[in-house]
Amino acid sequence: MFESLFEFLFKYRLLLFQEGDFSFTSPWPWAIGLIVAAAFAVPSALTYTAARGDSTAADRGIMGGLRLGALSIVVFCLLQPTLIITSVVPQRNFVGILIDDSRSMTIADQDGRQRSEFVTRNFTGEESELLNQLAERFTLRFFRFSNSTQRLGDVSELEYRGSRTEIGPALVRAQEELAGVPLSGLILITDGADNSGEALAESLLPLQAASTPVYTIGLGEEALSPDIQVSRVEIPRSVLAGASLVVDVIIAQRGFRGRTVQLVVEDEGRIIASQDVELKRDGEPVVARVRFAADEAGPRLLQFRIPLQPGERVGRNNMREVLLNVRDEREKILYFEGEPRWEVKFLRRAVAEDENLQVVILQRTAENKFLRLDVDTPEELAAGFPRTREELFAYRGLVLGSVEASFFTHDQLNMIADFVSERGGGLLLLGGRKAFREGGYEGTPIAQVMPVFMDDELSDGSGPYFAEVDVRPTRSGLTHPAIQLGQNENALEEAWETLPSVTSLNPISKLKPGATALLEAAGGPGSARQIVLAHHRFGRGKVIVLPIQDSWFWQMSADVSVDDQRHETFWRQLLRWLIDGVPDGVVAETDRERVEVGESVELRATVSDSAFMEVNNGLVSVFIEGPSGPPIEQRMEWTVDEDGVYDAAFVPSEPGLYEIRVEATRAADSLGTGSTFVYVTESDEEYFDAGMRRTTLERIADETGGRFYTPETVSNLPEDISLTGAGVTLTEERDLWDMPFLLLLLLSLVGSEWLYRRARGLI
Amino acid sequence: MRAFASLPVVLSLMLTSASGHLDPLARSADESAPGSNPLPESTRFFGPPPTPAVQELPHHPAFREYYFSRVAYTGYGRGWGRGFGRGGPSWATDYPKADQIFLSFIDRLLSNLDAYEWQHPVLLDDPQLRRFPYLYALEVGYMNLTPSEVEGLRGFLLAGGFLVIDDFWGPREWANFEYQMEQVLPGYPIVDLSQDHEIFSTFYEITELLQVPNRRNGWWSVNGGSTSECYGCLPQIKGIYDEEGRLMVVINFNTDLGDAWEWADDPYYPLKFSTYAYEMGVNMIVYAMSH
Repeated sequence: MFESLFEFLFKYRLLLFQEGDFSFTSPWPWAIGLIVAAAFAVPSALTYTAARGDSTAADRGIMGGLRLGALSIVVFCLLQPTLIITSVVPQRNFVGILIDDSRSMTIADQDGRQRSEFVTRNFTGEESELLNQLAERFTLRFFRFSNSTQRLGDVSELEYRGSRTEIGPALVRAQEELAGVPLSGLILITDGADNSGEALAESLLPLQAASTPVYTIGLGEEALSPDIQVSRVEIPRSVLAGASLVVDVIIAQRGFRGRTVQLVVEDEGRIIASQDVELKRDGEPVVARVRFAADEAGPRLLQFRIPLQPGERVGRNNMREVLLNVRDEREKILYFEGEPRWEVKFLRRAVAEDENLQVVILQRTAENKFLRLDVDTPEELAAGFPRTREELFAYRGLVLGSVEASFFTHDQLNMIADFVSERGGGLLLLGGRKAFREGGYEGTPIAQVMPVFMDDELSDGSGPYFAEVDVRPTRSGLTHPAIQLGQNENALEEAWETLPSVTSLNPISKLKPGATALLEAAGGPGSARQIVLAHHRFGRGKVIVLPIQDSWFWQMSADVSVDDQRHETFWRQLLRWLIDGVPDGVVAETDRERVEVGESVELRATVSDSAFMEVNNGLVSVFIEGPSGPPIEQRMEWTVDEDGVYDAAFVPSEPGLYEIRVEATRAADSLGTGSTFVYVTESDEEYFDAGMRRTTLERIADETGGRFYTPETVSNLPEDISLTGAGVTLTEERDLWDMPFLLLLLLSLVGSEWLYRRARGLI
Repeated sequence: MRAFASLPVVLSLMLTSASGHLDPLARSADESAPGSNPLPESTRFFGPPPTPAVQELPHHPAFREYYFSRVAYTGYGRGWGRGFGRGGPSWATDYPKADQIFLSFIDRLLSNLDAYEWQHPVLLDDPQLRRFPYLYALEVGYMNLTPSEVEGLRGFLLAGGFLVIDDFWGPREWANFEYQMEQVLPGYPIVDLSQDHEIFSTFYEITELLQVPNRRNGWWSVNGGSTSECYGCLPQIKGIYDEEGRLMVVINFNTDLGDAWEWADDPYYPLKFSTYAYEMGVNMIVYAMSH
């Protein structure tokens, strides 16, 4: 509307004024024009001044001004105002047209028609006006792009079956192909979803350097409605068998405000969890927290699905598939306790039935007298607490009970800190009369890795600190898998509120920056509170503190039924969390967990020895086992950039599950193995966030000097490229003196003077 | 901790009539009035005198890791009801001297154990019973548990508590104990503990099962007298396991560890018996606190 009005008044489109230069092309010099103007203006002014009649000074001023204005317009026209523009030479330049060939182009949200119909209508057939206008001015080259970019002979060859939309690489490829010809610009026809994962800004740099404008045409609605989408699933890639998982599922929706839908989790057709989710306002994502146990070992393909709702625009974005590697391994934790304590007995009982946890006990019963339990060999820990990195780093988790810091040598204290920061192990520090500050840990390497400060802000100074603590989850704790004792938040809170109080001898109340408290003592707002469970990441590992001394009372209290499993559940979850994500000596990783047939998968292996020192001179092989055929062995090479990191790549040739197993040796000694999985299948990514990405497309246009269009505004595109495009250009002058606006302005000034005279009775 | 108050109320009634038979170290109920002692109320009945050792406890006195908790059960015959027959109730045999001397030795043998230094009798139907997961009961041939005691002991054991039985002799006393345990844990068999059981090696390596005599038999045994309190009775160690195979009860039958603890300071009592008794005592504590 604005553009049409502007063009009517000013004869040309706004774009011409923006792109062109303004000039006067009068054959006379400026000075003559001014003299002529003065020759008219001075007598007029004198006439008004002399012939006063009934007029006042104000009347004369206004009428003089109006007359002077009209006179100025005449002079302005006589000076022949001109717009000097640069436009491309017809048929001397090329334009590349990039058409999105991905699946999202088949979404029917263009007035009930598929997005691809715009392409069919405007770029095929002899009657296509847009195509004809472009072809009149430019030599056209067509490209299709989705997962890759290819030259396109005929637009009717498009199939719209691509599983990804890689805009950046497509622009770079097209520019490279047209590098040898005068290129006026690129036309990008897409819905704008860029799921290539590569930074768009980098792809735009060569276009900016070559001054190649990109004209983007956005197809589809910006917001699909009504539609529900499972946007994201927050889940670890690997867990121990039997792990309790709390998975956040982010659900986006439009058009279903206030409705309650069911989220279903399936493991190969078997429903393992379901949860009702109340949707909020349109466009506001909802985080659904769903709890389930990973019981079956092996790689599991989990589906998070919301049943299709009536009227939904896109059905395939209602489900997300994620690959979860459920490891059925027995992982070792060392629990070193400095004195006979009931915690040892009840902790062992709590996790006794967990076949994936092996808690090795080293308990100092008297000076230089140790009790060892659940060791694998008679030699294990025979000399007491480990004295070498190899010995300590064989464990994935370390629990320190009530043992004074002076028990350890300085090397052992440093080794414990390295166990966390370098080996990536989990360290759990329990409370007790010889723990934390009471155990002399201030100023030690262990104090540095703790998630809490040991300053005492709780005790009244009248004696040793002692507190009875009613334990409550913090806000962070409510959603943390380690302390889940109920199926939902209400049940969780009730479960903790009804547990008996426990005691603490360690006044811990201050978190370090970046640390999180999950459990704390109940109390009023504002006051410092006893921290019961807190953690943070330190280096490659994590450190957890539990500064209470008798969690066993959650099992033995008369207020707790004999069958109550909360104590067992708490410890099992806590110890599983302690060793969750702890790396092996050899770690195999892939850049993506899910790819399509023909897509390259980047493999990466991190190799360390038993002391967790990176190994650069190892012999590292990867065995890739697909759904059929024998494993394929491939050599991995040290990257040189990073110590201990080796890489390789492979391209899957058939759909299905691929196991990637890495074996490393050094001088014939095995350094260990590591494995991971990749699921090869068709991608549904195109159907997620499938609305037209206006901001992305506008950004591409703005940063390259092009313009953004919709199907409604695209008719200006051929002319715009002519005026703003690069390539072979010529300069053109366009007259402005006959703009309708000037005539209207002249008439309105003259008319206004006449009306004024009438109104004032001066005629 | 307030709930502990129920324990001393009952026991103090018993002390009033029994004080004449108890060790002079034991405090009267009046001496243990609130405010005069920093120890928790549950420990005050037979609580300690205000000696410097007590005042300088290494940490807050309201909670200790280990209490040698003697079961003050209801008995009959020698210890009818909760009253006192000959020599006091059966549960209080060797009490409190055996407890005190045992604890003083434990303090040296298990130097890292945070043990409460004084005797600590508990009632099986006390709601706070489970706060003390280690129980010691003796002369169980005279045990006659009330329904509430049966209930309390069953909950204690199934929740994870550990019970040590000592000093009962002969088939008659065995039959009574077996009957009492059948009330507490119906369907849980009493089985022999073989010499390779972990309880014989958790701290000391014990390779031989000895019959520990009482003080008098100990004197006589030096000159070839019998160590047994009944004719032909042989020492046995038995146990009761829970459904997951965890040991809940250790039964020292036809032996008297308690007397050996009590008279370890007697120069005429044979050293090998007191040594064995202390080794078993230490092993049972370490085992109970780790298994």
